[in-house]
Amino acid sequence: MTVTATNQLDQAFIALADPTRRAIVARLAHGDATVTELAEPFAMSMPAVSKHLKVLERSGLITRSRHAQTRPCHLEREPLDAALDWIETSRRAWNARFDKLEAHLRTIQTPPPTKGSER
Amino acid sequence: MTHGTVRHTRVFSAPRELVFRCMLTPEHLTHFWGPAGMSAPLDGITVDPRVGGAFETVMVSDDGTSRYTMRAVYDEILDPERIAWTEVGSGLRSVSTFTDLGDGRTEVTIEQSNVPAAFLTPEAQAGFLTSLDKLEVYLGTVAASA
Repeated sequence: MTVTATNQLDQAFIALADPTRRAIVARLAHGDATVTELAEPFAMSMPAVSKHLKVLERSGLITRSRHAQTRPCHLEREPLDAALDWIETSRRAWNARFDKLEAHLRTIQTPPPTKGSER
Repeated sequence: MTHGTVRHTRVFSAPRELVFRCMLTPEHLTHFWGPAGMSAPLDGITVDPRVGGAFETVMVSDDGTSRYTMRAVYDEILDPERIAWTEVGSGLRSVSTFTDLGDGRTEVTIEQSNVPAAFLTPEAQAGFLTSLDKLEVYLGTVAASA
């Protein structure tokens, strides 16, 4: 499946908007797990967990083995990193803007030196 | 619906009217709109300050090798409290709120919504989530409290 980077990012964020799916991702960050293992900590039926896994799989955040009978889930770090990068980029951009705005406000509020100081 | 927002806040030593004006005037925007390592030349800035009006900027890297055009449409302009725009294409919505702190200072908050709803935690807002390891720590606490 080929998706654009933006599309993939959107899908990753949508998938991670749900607390249960975030918890599943958290669990998978520690290693691959089967559906049964993933369902354990949740008061949730296996089909309900499977539904969440399908969303995660579609988003590219996880993949599932085709070989083993239990089809363990595996966390794919790339889409997760992409999501984190987005936030970090946004934070950096606004921080830099705010820094520059601060300097600009200082400049425009400082009376020109030739006219003498009022304060 | 909005799942949440990523929020960026800063307090400026300037009256609200002035800070608000800076965000809506190309001659001011050109001084600060470009993020680190980039500038926003005046001739690349379009501000049509009304609902449905265009807000466009061209950001050029300081070494001149790359440029990025942002195209957005204003959805709300409430002088001097709030300016909101939505980027064409991505649908990313940014709401700037200007709060008069009463002592000559103004707090500006940028809330971005329609973003990827995942990391809209205080940790993410503070920019702590800079690596996957840190995300794991966060996700670990989520998992532990689930």
